[in-house]
Amino acid sequence: MNTRRFPTTIFAMTALGLAPPVAAQIGVQRSRNVPAVYAITNARIVPVSGPVIDKGTIVVRDGLIAAVGANTQAPSDARIVDGTGLTVYPGIIDGNSTFGYPSGGASQAADAGRGGRGGRGGAPAQQGGPAGAPNSLHPVGLQPELAAADLVRPEEDLFTGPQSAGITAALTAPPSGIFRGLSAVIQLGGSSAQAMIVKTPVAEHIAFTPLRNGGFPNSLLGVFAALRQELLDAQHYALEQAAYAKNPRGMRKPETDPSLEALQPVLARTLPVVMQASTAREIERALDLAKEFNLRVILAGGEEADEVAARLKAENVPVLLSLNFQRRPTASADADPEPLRMLRARVDAPKLAGKLAQAGVKFAFADGGLSTWSDYLGNASRTAENGLSADQAVRALTLTPAEILGVSDRLGTIEVGKIANLTVTRGDLLAGHVAHLFIDGSLVEVRAQTTAAASAITGAWTLTVTTDEGDRQVTATLQQVGDQLRGTIQGAMGSSPINNGSIAADGSVKFSATVTMAGGTEEATFTGTIAANVMRGTMAVVGHPQSPFIGSRPEAAGGGRRGRPPQ
Amino acid sequence: MTLRAFPAALALVAATAGAQQPAATAKVGPTLIKNATVLTVTKGRLENTDLLLQNGKIAQIGKNLSAPAGATVIDATGKYVMPGIIDPHSHSMADAINEGSLSVTSMVRIRDVLNPTDINIYRQLAGGVTTINVLHGSANTIGGQNAVVKLKYGKDLDEMLFPGATPGIKFALGENVTRKNSQQAAQAQGQPLRYPATRMGQEEVLRDAFTRARDYKATWDDYNARVAKGEKNLVPPEHDLELDPLVEVLEGKRFVHAHSYRADEMLMLLNIAKEFGFTVRTLQHGLEGYKIASEISQAGTGLSTFADEWSYKIEAYDAIPYNTAIAMRHGVVTTVNSDSDERARRLNIDAAKMMRYGGLSEDSALKTITYNGAVQLGIEKKVGSIETGKDADVVIWSGNPLSVYSIAETTFIDGEIFFDIKRDQAKREEMAKERAALEAADRRRPVVP
Repeated sequence: MNTRRFPTTIFAMTALGLAPPVAAQIGVQRSRNVPAVYAITNARIVPVSGPVIDKGTIVVRDGLIAAVGANTQAPSDARIVDGTGLTVYPGIIDGNSTFGYPSGGASQAADAGRGGRGGRGGAPAQQGGPAGAPNSLHPVGLQPELAAADLVRPEEDLFTGPQSAGITAALTAPPSGIFRGLSAVIQLGGSSAQAMIVKTPVAEHIAFTPLRNGGFPNSLLGVFAALRQELLDAQHYALEQAAYAKNPRGMRKPETDPSLEALQPVLARTLPVVMQASTAREIERALDLAKEFNLRVILAGGEEADEVAARLKAENVPVLLSLNFQRRPTASADADPEPLRMLRARVDAPKLAGKLAQAGVKFAFADGGLSTWSDYLGNASRTAENGLSADQAVRALTLTPAEILGVSDRLGTIEVGKIANLTVTRGDLLAGHVAHLFIDGSLVEVRAQTTAAASAITGAWTLTVTTDEGDRQVTATLQQVGDQLRGTIQGAMGSSPINNGSIAADGSVKFSATVTMAGGTEEATFTGTIAANVMRGTMAVVGHPQSPFIGSRPEAAGGGRRGRPPQ
Repeated sequence: MTLRAFPAALALVAATAGAQQPAATAKVGPTLIKNATVLTVTKGRLENTDLLLQNGKIAQIGKNLSAPAGATVIDATGKYVMPGIIDPHSHSMADAINEGSLSVTSMVRIRDVLNPTDINIYRQLAGGVTTINVLHGSANTIGGQNAVVKLKYGKDLDEMLFPGATPGIKFALGENVTRKNSQQAAQAQGQPLRYPATRMGQEEVLRDAFTRARDYKATWDDYNARVAKGEKNLVPPEHDLELDPLVEVLEGKRFVHAHSYRADEMLMLLNIAKEFGFTVRTLQHGLEGYKIASEISQAGTGLSTFADEWSYKIEAYDAIPYNTAIAMRHGVVTTVNSDSDERARRLNIDAAKMMRYGGLSEDSALKTITYNGAVQLGIEKKVGSIETGKDADVVIWSGNPLSVYSIAETTFIDGEIFFDIKRDQAKREEMAKERAALEAADRRRPVVP
């Protein structure tokens, strides 16, 4: 809206002989080139809020939907978009993303904060790298006050991928850490970061990912302790601050702490928490923690949410369901067969949404960190072939995320007065042919997505670990989900799920697994880096010298497991 | 097996099938095990004896018992029944074992990271194990809080936690803590070095932690006293999750399970405990326990050791297989533990070794993997022996469990079957079929780009 007022401001400034500010100049150029009024005519319209209009017109004016209907006339000042053969849907809203951060920002934030001390009130840990929140008393990764609204950038390149999937708006949260910070609903484009923001803050985000720098907490055990301590501290903070406000005389001023301040609306349940959890046990743990502190939870990820559907329903927890269905990993011929549990999860992934719908759990789709953007609608479509109705799938892409995120008064349907975010497709939305988008009332041409970058790590790795007991061959089947790693290791050191796994943008990885050494069961921490198709690093086990490891995975081309019978 | 037992079997299949089914609400029917050799552990061996499991308890032990209506009857002629094995030192089911970043991590809880779907649960059931003590690792002087778990595979985690078990905490002394091996590598990777690097430092860490815990307790005691006196508008002290469990140790409400190898470090810990007025519940491993068996006994401390690990690291050079027998003869409550997902499946053999090395009686040998473990965890009123009224955690063995030729055939927990060797065979076929079907479906899908 503000951008459209720029012209008059600029003209006034120019008339007075003042140089307009640089940002404003950019605004001018954009505003001049973009007409403020559009009419999409002769289109099929799926408003989601009401019945389908087989042939009708939508008028977009000054960023809003001005009119919609079968008999609506295109106004004379509108730029006409011929919608013959096209279908118009409410703009897709990605229920949970990390859009809008220039690459590297995420991992750097995670890697900063070396020396963060655990326990209570650790020293601020901000040596090198972009620090987290300014003047925070807590280590990077445990700073709930960090706000997406302060971090997102309006750079177009950050949005071309999701736009190609028809996504017009998204919830975006700071992309790393444990207390990740405050999320915002943004539109995928705008003349400034502020212009993109639809609502902030939307939720506090929590992920159960240990810090990567060796400081506390460096394990899942510590993650829970750190979360619990900070929430307890926030409760105590409120008591101290209230006591001081009531009668400051004679009381030493309690220290101001922006992190604990940021947790107050969370504890008061006025701000929900989005908790990242995939497996059934991760979900149960997240819900247990939420129960302990009476938090209002929204679940993100939810790859095994069907197994805890009854509890989600009973506790009224909505799910931002990942559409990042795992693809079949390539594996060398001598790799161990994939564990049944992983195989089952992958093959049955499209059935999950239907099961949640049946159980009465509210859910919206989210990208879940996928990198091949055609998978977004492709996988939503697969859910519609596996137990979900097409209408339900469309709803989960549009209105339901708006409802869960508290923006359904302005987004999510095609209704007069709502923000003009529209996804225009050839054929049905679920067929995945996105023609163009309207974002905040502006026409956005969709650029065909370049081929997805191969995931740096997803796949079956054959690793050789040189331990003090000799060389050990293991197969590590790894899956990357955002900055997190999942999977298993199998082979000469036993079989175990991968825990506490994460990967940074620079290719450094860290995960732990249970291994058998000297006849005993030990927890091994693998720390390494990936370059090309080679992973190398060291395995650390308490009581043993560090063991170097090196290995590779088969090239993706012509992949698939060859010549090994199922076992 | 009659039809009645099938629901349990299905639940088991479903569990391995990856689904955490909501707990079966249907009550388990009674089971009558007929004509077995019963190794009660506390009351000797009973030949040709029947055992009635009802409402989750051992309801009757005797000859020619009659089956109540609806009971499953198992003919155990020629077979042995013993109490479920208790493993006092396990890391199974834990998605994380060490929070090694700090010297004191008493704030972390194994309960938070338990994985009720861990396949090792099932494998250990097949070795006759029914209860495990899941401990934090030995990376630091004061580790995390433990969890005592019944291996009710397929049930929700809440149903697996042992009700009424005394909470515990892991301590660790010696090489794993000083970690000379890994300090240099950590430094090379730019990671912070962690205090302490010597056994002297470990003693200081302990004394410092308990001094802080004592002060913290005093702060809370003072606050509570002022509240009791009716003072208004007091801001309570902060909660400190690190010190709360140490206060519980000082109050005798939480057991210390201390990883230790050498006699000197064990004596150091016993002295610290004396100084702060608590009792160390168990010395875990305690390979040189035989050197100070009378001191351990006098301290009222238990020992949980390996059957025969020797010399696999420097601090294990003085280990001897007679450790268990010597400690027991000095009156120390002693157990044999696994510390291993793999060895946990054959703890019966480790117990048998105690007859070979040190000449323990059959009952004493069995105690090291059953009753004594129950004592060490504060659950001996419920499990650890076959006595009327105790939990129906029993295992049917093909022969004497102290023989290498015997295998566990059926494992009951609270009267319900959680492992049965015949069902296991059937399930393998089902799983092979499922894998084939899934792989066929999967082959039609694209691979990772």
